Amino acid sequence: MPTSKPDATILLQAATKYLEEELLPTLNGYYRFQTRVTINVLNIVRRELESRGAHAADETARLKAILGHDEPLESLNDELCARIRSGAIATDDATLRDHVRRSLAEALAINNPKWLSR
Amino acid sequence: MNQDEIFARRLQAAIARHLGAPGALHNLQRLTGGATKTTWSFDADVGEKRLELIVQLSNAGATPVPDPLAGVTPHLNSEEDAQIVMAAERGGVPAPHVYAVFDEADGIGHGYVTGRVAGETLGPRIVRDEQFAAARAVMARQCGEILAAIHKIDPREAPFLIRQDAAAEVAAYYRYVDHYGLKLPAVELGLKWAADHAPKNPRMTVLHGDFRTGNLIVGEEGIRCVLDWEISQIGDPMQDLGWLCVKTWRFGGKPPVGGFGSREDLFAAYERASGIPVDPKQVMFWEAFGDVKWAIMCLRKGMAFSDGTEPISIEQSAIGRRIEEPLWDFLNLIEGRE
Repeated sequence: MPTSKPDATILLQAATKYLEEELLPTLNGYYRFQTRVTINVLNIVRRELESRGAHAADETARLKAILGHDEPLESLNDELCARIRSGAIATDDATLRDHVRRSLAEALAINNPKWLSR
Repeated sequence: MNQDEIFARRLQAAIARHLGAPGALHNLQRLTGGATKTTWSFDADVGEKRLELIVQLSNAGATPVPDPLAGVTPHLNSEEDAQIVMAAERGGVPAPHVYAVFDEADGIGHGYVTGRVAGETLGPRIVRDEQFAAARAVMARQCGEILAAIHKIDPREAPFLIRQDAAAEVAAYYRYVDHYGLKLPAVELGLKWAADHAPKNPRMTVLHGDFRTGNLIVGEEGIRCVLDWEISQIGDPMQDLGWLCVKTWRFGGKPPVGGFGSREDLFAAYERASGIPVDPKQVMFWEAFGDVKWAIMCLRKGMAFSDGTEPISIEQSAIGRRIEEPLWDFLNLIEGRE
């Protein structure tokens, strides 16, 4: 992993600043809308890079508590999905509900933070 | 001649043939181009009159790759779409008036021509702008009455409609999830909850299937026209009422019905006009399942490029990242936190 400067998150900030402050005011209609969506997508990528890894430890700990054993995050997550589908864990299980709520909040903090504050 | 000029020339000939000479076109403008259809607005001279028209062309088969998920959920072709719109208009629903359905002799592909209805379709404006305040006050009642009229359409007028109850829909949405290999506990929770709470032996009627803010043309006095009939089906009538309440379709508006009205007004008007009693819990099931379905539709929109059925696009990719929004709303709804 190269450590060139500025960081990727700074490059994204610079790109969105240009799009938002200089390009957007010159656009109308279709191009304005598409550029707005592009700015939004770049902000998602920046937030994802900034918080990458921060939630993984929490998520793994929650999954271990629900499933009762230790494995890599992806295997635990797949196992939980299979257990929900088979009915081995009930959809009104309080720990499951808590895990799902926290995971959704973490994802929304990246994809659309405004949705949490509505 | 470029593609657009060829299209304009053929469209003019088709208008002259179906509606009457001379068919001269004015102000032909492309409005939207989506994965499944392209919409154009134009005016045409027919006899002494100038008609304000819309043409919708199907893009089905435009990509060389067949959609591996075609038919999993209902989707009408252009001819069927036009037929259900015509049946709706006969039933007193404010639907676009169909002037012509193209056939092979037109050489224009699959599509149809309707009247153009003036008004607003953008959700955020309808639920927020001052000019629609009076409309918002009556729209829940109008929705109840319009849905009652849609649900009264005789299914024999649209024999092509697919029957899907809640259990069949749950199975269809599992297929989408598995096709894209999505492993998201919130989606699994939502689908399992829906499977466990699916209404048993519901009444089955014709449904609009996508009746919501954004698919309604609204004027200052209220609803003028109901658009986008292509996922019409036979199903539980409470499905249409629940879908209208899904939080995504409130576009930031506070009131639960479409961002503009109350459930009480919707249910009372619907019961009065249809004679079908409304069970609020059953409507709530369809709203909650609607959240889950919209989440999976976001996945499908975001990932359609991966099958080669659609080119990759910034707009569709961004929709893919909206998957958690309705799942969050789903959880709040079933936990009574709304």
